[in-house]
Amino acid sequence: MVIVQGLSSRAGTFLLHDVSFQLASGAWGIVLGQTGSGKTTLLETIAGVRRAIAGQIILRDEDVTSHPIEQRRVSIVYQHSYLFPHLTVDENVGYGTMDTRFASDLASRFGVDGLRGRPVASLSGGERQLVALVRALARHPDILLLDEPFAALDPRRRIQVRRQLRLLQRESGMTVLHVTHDFAEAGTLGDLAIVLEAGRVIQIGTPTEVFRRPASGSVAEFLGAENVFSGTIQRTATPTSGETDVLHFTGEGIALVGVGEHAGGAGHAVIRGSDVVLAHARSARTSARNVLDGVVEEVLFDGMIARVAIRVGSTMLVAVVTRSAVDDLGFAPGLAVVASIKAIAVHLC
Amino acid sequence: MTMRVTHRVATTGVVGGAIVLLALLALPVGALVLRGGLDGLRELGGDRELQQSLALTAIAATTATLVAVALGTPLAYLLARDRMPAGALVGALVELPLLIPHPVAGIALLLAFGRASPAGEALARIGLGVVGSPLGIGLAMLFVAAPLYVSAARESIARVDERYEAVARTLGDTRWRAVRRVTLPLAGRGLSSAAVVMWARAVSEFGAIVILTYNPKVASVLSYDRFTATGLDASLPVAAVLVLLALVPLLVLRSLRTNQARAERAW
Repeated sequence: MVIVQGLSSRAGTFLLHDVSFQLASGAWGIVLGQTGSGKTTLLETIAGVRRAIAGQIILRDEDVTSHPIEQRRVSIVYQHSYLFPHLTVDENVGYGTMDTRFASDLASRFGVDGLRGRPVASLSGGERQLVALVRALARHPDILLLDEPFAALDPRRRIQVRRQLRLLQRESGMTVLHVTHDFAEAGTLGDLAIVLEAGRVIQIGTPTEVFRRPASGSVAEFLGAENVFSGTIQRTATPTSGETDVLHFTGEGIALVGVGEHAGGAGHAVIRGSDVVLAHARSARTSARNVLDGVVEEVLFDGMIARVAIRVGSTMLVAVVTRSAVDDLGFAPGLAVVASIKAIAVHLC
Repeated sequence: MTMRVTHRVATTGVVGGAIVLLALLALPVGALVLRGGLDGLRELGGDRELQQSLALTAIAATTATLVAVALGTPLAYLLARDRMPAGALVGALVELPLLIPHPVAGIALLLAFGRASPAGEALARIGLGVVGSPLGIGLAMLFVAAPLYVSAARESIARVDERYEAVARTLGDTRWRAVRRVTLPLAGRGLSSAAVVMWARAVSEFGAIVILTYNPKVASVLSYDRFTATGLDASLPVAAVLVLLALVPLLVLRSLRTNQARAERAW
């Protein structure tokens, strides 16, 4: 169990301010946020590398806020692996453990057993990250802090390592707090997502909640939502406390019906590109509450995926479709199309 | 003026300036070695006083360096990691002897450790007289050269990212165990080159030593003594041998610095 209450910490002139969250034993927490939002500072403060200037850190029901690093019994893996360059791979892996059999088993599970005896200087960035991960895991940590530890791995290896680590975490019941920029990683691994902005927590929830219902326009943009509009949100009925309501949005030349827990006033409408359905003509009867006429401005391909930019009035709406949909329906600049979006796919925040 | 002419003038200025400075540095040393080098090396075999003086210089400089390494490394660590209360003030105090004229340093040492001082009296009582003794030589060397060691050691330790230590501590080390197992080995080449610089500076010290301990004579004092007593020719061999011996730490230093740069690139 990791409990962080009102935690503040300083890294140079940067201030991590009043961060609170709870991560259950055996859970996998994901820390998201733009560069400079305080993700690494948060991990380092929990590990004791940085001093907390306010608040509490409770690990395994014990307040460790003033404990030195070595007494907190957490392992940390940085993006820059911090392997000890004067030691070999073997010596690094065995640095903090007497359990050589387990260390050897881990080395084999993560595919670094072939690197044993090699000097650190001869390893690639990805190999260094794997060795650093094995070194941290070899201590049987029950709390593991990961700061973008897979960033240097190729996509295929990253998926394998992620899978291995998830398996190991389930076997051991280890609690993980993981900083990542990879949303696929967040969605696959995370039980809880913590979004930081400028040193403050701006949203906490399951990864699905955070991705589907970002707390603000900036969170939505950071999380890669293709369509984020600023405007005014209007209620048509009395707010139902704590529940999602149907709301109306107008802004940036577009009017939408959406859902959210907004009290009304200035806000944002967030629509994922994959939730926008394109057609040549309006359907006679549809459940979609938002049906918009537009003209295709641009079609950009990314492998088998295409991003179709549509001009709707004075604004641009992006739909994400497959390449085959573009080919079959002949989407090309200048083509008049109809974009349909269900109200529940328009998140108002 | 065209760009090409400007470039040529600038190149000539840079190369010319470098040549003038190199000549200013190399000319006196070259003249000394050329005139006295061979005689010096020849005399080294038969000149007992010169042999004893060189041995005394080497022993005193080595002892002073070892003391500085033992006491200065912890100080350099504390300064490098900002763990020293009033670190800026302490850092300035440590470097102060570098700015004091060396005879003044000798006078200060005489005041602090001379027979009339409480410390000097206490040391003399246990048979460790500072004035006119090898202890005085070592003390003078330590005073003028240890700041060089602490300063370079501090930079060397500061170059080792503190996160290496943090990671070692998450792997179970206490702070000081992490320093011993990780920080010091990573700063090792820098610390060695700092020690070599200090040793070389200690060997060449004259001003502070001559005030504290004229006899027994270290090599620099012997060279001065022969110059004043018997003239330039008699002092040349001693001076030339000192210059030739200075090449040894210089070469060691170059090699250490090259290896360190190579190692740091691999981190």
